[in-house]
Amino acid sequence: MKTWTKILLYTLCTAFALIVVLPFLMMILGSVKNARESALFGLDLPTEYAWDNYGKVLSKASVIRGFLNTIFISLATVILTDIAAAMAAFVIQRRPGRASRVSYYLLLVGLVMPVSIIPTIKLMMSLGIHNSYSGLILYFTAVNLSFAVFLIAGFMGSVPKELDEAAIVEGSSYTRLFFKIILPLLKTVIVTNTIITVLAVWDDFFGPFYLVSNSKKWTIVMSMYTFVSQYQTNWGLVFAFMMLMILPMLLMYFFLQRFIIEGITAGSVKG
Amino acid sequence: MTRNKRGNYPYAFLIPALAIFGILFLAPTLTGFYYSLTDWNINKKGINFIGLQNFRELFADHKLIAAFWHTIVYSISVTVLRNLAGLALALMLNESLKLKNLFRTVFFLPYVISPIVIGYLFTAIYNPGHGLINVALRAIGLGALAGDWLNDPALALASTIMVDVWRTSGFAMVIYLAGLQAIPVELYESASIDGSRYWTTFGRIVFPLIAPSLTINLVLSLIGTMKVFVMILVLTNGGPGYTTEVLNTYIMSAFSLGLYGQGTAANILLIAVIMLICFPVLTFLQKREVAL
Repeated sequence: MKTWTKILLYTLCTAFALIVVLPFLMMILGSVKNARESALFGLDLPTEYAWDNYGKVLSKASVIRGFLNTIFISLATVILTDIAAAMAAFVIQRRPGRASRVSYYLLLVGLVMPVSIIPTIKLMMSLGIHNSYSGLILYFTAVNLSFAVFLIAGFMGSVPKELDEAAIVEGSSYTRLFFKIILPLLKTVIVTNTIITVLAVWDDFFGPFYLVSNSKKWTIVMSMYTFVSQYQTNWGLVFAFMMLMILPMLLMYFFLQRFIIEGITAGSVKG
Repeated sequence: MTRNKRGNYPYAFLIPALAIFGILFLAPTLTGFYYSLTDWNINKKGINFIGLQNFRELFADHKLIAAFWHTIVYSISVTVLRNLAGLALALMLNESLKLKNLFRTVFFLPYVISPIVIGYLFTAIYNPGHGLINVALRAIGLGALAGDWLNDPALALASTIMVDVWRTSGFAMVIYLAGLQAIPVELYESASIDGSRYWTTFGRIVFPLIAPSLTINLVLSLIGTMKVFVMILVLTNGGPGYTTEVLNTYIMSAFSLGLYGQGTAANILLIAVIMLICFPVLTFLQKREVAL
């Protein structure tokens, strides 16, 4: 590559990188500014550092609750999604036939179709799970299952079928084969799916907004939504809350980036 | 393994996934078609079948028509811009730059941040007085272009579109990069980036080979953006006036007024638009891939 091409590419990349980074920089700086300075949305350093913004945000009971709820709900959703999706993907990939094909296509509907949220509320009310953790967990599982099955079924093809045959010949049951041999081999794709599911639960506004009216059961997204309408006048606090909210996602991104990228590109190259 | 004495892979393994998905996703989708034909609302005890009445009312409502068109404009604009930006970024990072991993990490970063955080962040960036955009414009002598991005009816929709492009271009980039890296180097190494042949090679060899990436990007983008909700809610809440109203914000206001039947009917409309746009796009693009 000629030098001038390289310079041009670096200049362009740096310019785009700045467009991405500057808003975040403004947020980071704003999170340690007082109410007056943070409302100027500048990129200058604070005249005095308001570190206690973070303490103030964390002292709100609703914020802590929001975090704990999100952790609990995403954990339960992940376990449910990973196991249900892996079991389904196992049979779908290993046993070709009409039942598998129909199940797979039905599940894939979820990749395209938007959630019918108002009927979902009605359904949850009649099942007695509206406004409950279990309702929210089941909702998140349902909306994340489609992609999970798609992802895991794609990976299952790379697990040699000879393993199954050997195990079955030795007298193992299919249940044992799945949990003792197959599941451990799916580790990589399970990690990928776990991260993608956690991100989805962490980010989702639609579910908690419509399905949970009891603020004690809200996830962090809803805590933020109400927090902002309450503390609009103090952007320092809002920025500090944003920082706290994105921190877990950023850590996950920086340490587990490979898995996220793998999950996203899975199947996309093959089409 | 075929059916034998030892049995076969148990279909029972499908049950957990099918039960959860069937009950919590498919069932409400199907009952939704029925509820969209009823007068279900907060003030009535019973739910009565009223035929297409909800749809007639929806199409007579200026706000719904606005929401419908904004959803389509939003979706197509974000899709086009995201793919242009994503492809450009991917092509740059496909060259041998030492810092390309760093750039890739940065470009993809917004995608892992909650849309609600990005929405609030951009209400600050778009602030007419001190927001970064207007400050930057004034600093380079283009103060005349500075606007009230989210409150000017002529600019509001475009402003929300740009936030989504900013947020998701890195996602498109990652998919294009995966496609580019799957192309054997020998196929295009003769065309160095310096030569005028770069664009010829791109058009004749590279672009056709990344067609699957284009397909997946376009379809994912169209589907995702038509469901846009929280970003609009946080940035403009559908305003000023109805200028940024989209189908999901319309459904929310129908819901908060207790008009459940009508809200559900609006959702059926959203489903219909997604199907009508995505299937032809998918079929067309896949035919093209085969032809290439």
